[in-house]
Amino acid sequence: MHIPDNYLSPSTCVVLGAAMIPVWKRAAVKVKNEISRKKLPMLGVCAAFSFLTMMFNVPVPGGTSAHAVGSALIAILLGPWAAVISITIALVIQALFFGDGGILALGANTFNMAFIMPFTAYYTYKLIKGNSQSDKRSYAAAFIAGYLSINLAALCAAVQFGIQPLLFKDNSGLPLYCPYSLKFSIPAMLIPHLLVAGFVEGIVSAGVLAYIKRVSPESVYGDDKLSIKPLYVLIFSMILLTPIGLFAAGTAWGEWNLTEMKKLNGFIPQGMKNGVSFNAIMKDYLLAGHSEKIGYIASAVVGVILILVIFKIINRLISKKQNTAED
Amino acid sequence: MDWLFKEDDYIPQNDKDTFIDRTIGAFLKLLSNIKRANKYVGVKYIYLISPFVKFICTILTIILISTAKSVIFVGIVVTALYIMCFMVNGEDRKKIYTLNMIIPTFTLIMLLPSIILGNFNNSVMIVLKVMGTITSVNILAYTTKWHIITKALKFLFIPDIFIFVMDITIRYIYLLGEFSLDMLYALRLRTVGRNRRKQTSIAQLIGTLFLKSKEMGNEVYSAMECRGFVGEYEVYNKFKFTKRDISYCMIYAIFVILYLGIIYLKL
Repeated sequence: MHIPDNYLSPSTCVVLGAAMIPVWKRAAVKVKNEISRKKLPMLGVCAAFSFLTMMFNVPVPGGTSAHAVGSALIAILLGPWAAVISITIALVIQALFFGDGGILALGANTFNMAFIMPFTAYYTYKLIKGNSQSDKRSYAAAFIAGYLSINLAALCAAVQFGIQPLLFKDNSGLPLYCPYSLKFSIPAMLIPHLLVAGFVEGIVSAGVLAYIKRVSPESVYGDDKLSIKPLYVLIFSMILLTPIGLFAAGTAWGEWNLTEMKKLNGFIPQGMKNGVSFNAIMKDYLLAGHSEKIGYIASAVVGVILILVIFKIINRLISKKQNTAED
Repeated sequence: MDWLFKEDDYIPQNDKDTFIDRTIGAFLKLLSNIKRANKYVGVKYIYLISPFVKFICTILTIILISTAKSVIFVGIVVTALYIMCFMVNGEDRKKIYTLNMIIPTFTLIMLLPSIILGNFNNSVMIVLKVMGTITSVNILAYTTKWHIITKALKFLFIPDIFIFVMDITIRYIYLLGEFSLDMLYALRLRTVGRNRRKQTSIAQLIGTLFLKSKEMGNEVYSAMECRGFVGEYEVYNKFKFTKRDISYCMIYAIFVILYLGIIYLKL
């Protein structure tokens, strides 16, 4: 997944590098508070550990072997912020001294493997594990965290590759950098990750966690309370960003209305002509008498509130059941 | 004791355990790379250039190559860098050239469908650029002591504390690498017949490595604290600009002039 130089345009690299600056800054502050400035040498040793984790070959069915990225494991073991720093340093050393991954592409590589991946893994792990003390549940959580996080990182890399031909073309319209659009880059990156690399990452994360929990349980990152605040921030910013959809021309694929359908196909299928017609309260995400943008944001807020209410009800029902079972 | 002298007719089952050999191979390569980088490698011109100058020039070349739009410019720079490789010692030069065969070939294969569809010029450009960046980074990595390169990062406004952590990382990659290699040899020697739990073995190796890292981290922290470390660290660069460095900079100045000239002449 290490993107070499010249596959991405320099501007993409600069944008992703700039996106990483606040992450690194925050990580430096967080880590300083958590492990105290004096324990910084520890971080160096942990970075060495994350570098070496990437070198272990794991046997894969069929007689060959693959290696794990290890970001998920490190996020679970050290916490997500320490993981950001140690994986970033491991990636810098790989790029500078081993030619693995580009130097200008460091922004993109750290974004995928030192930011998206450890954070996805850490939050997935914590959400699935919950407050449960069950070891099996925590190993399952580590496996899913590994599987999911590497696939999300691969998806990010695929999107970075895939947008190149859309954005950067020469005078005759031919792509200047990675020539394959999202249609090709996403399956090319995701199929091997969904089928093989995801399992390798999952097995390594769960296996190593199981071993360390058995041998030295106090060595695992102790912060057991999951802070959901960052998730709220994420949801809030996504709500604010919903009107971005308005920039897109046309309707989402498969969501055509009857007139658009006629334009596309030349006819309306019989079954759809007299199909069910449902009048939603906020049709097309609009509120009567308000601008489109406000309508979009309001729809997002209502949607999020509805989902939260439903989950609260489910949670209450489950805890009631558990209480009666305990009685 | 008689049983010791009896011959056993135990024939171990065959097993595919290439993963251990591959990992051992990867670690051996890593350790030899670090060892080579940290001994004094030669008296040839390129080894005597100040690491700071080399580092800045390398970053500059990579930026020039990546942003260049003229195939003539990239072609000239790649040729010049290939010629510069002759200043690297024999064994290392071979390694750089081998890498330069493998990675661009891989890029070419990846780009083949696009070339067949008619995107020839831009594809050739990408392959050339990949060749250029790889050669440039490898010349730096093969001819300079790594811990000095980390100090050169100061020029990129990277905080001292990051440089310090990176320095420790490089040292501990070596120490922990040796430790891993010992574990792998032990696993190799003790694996007789079929190992049905290969994944577990690897998980245990990585787990032990993590515990060892924590232990070593604590030790190095205590050792540094004993010697008066209070969490502050400042990188001092003893940097002297010699005639040799000036001549090296001239080569790169030619690249910059060429780059600007080609833009000006719209070649």
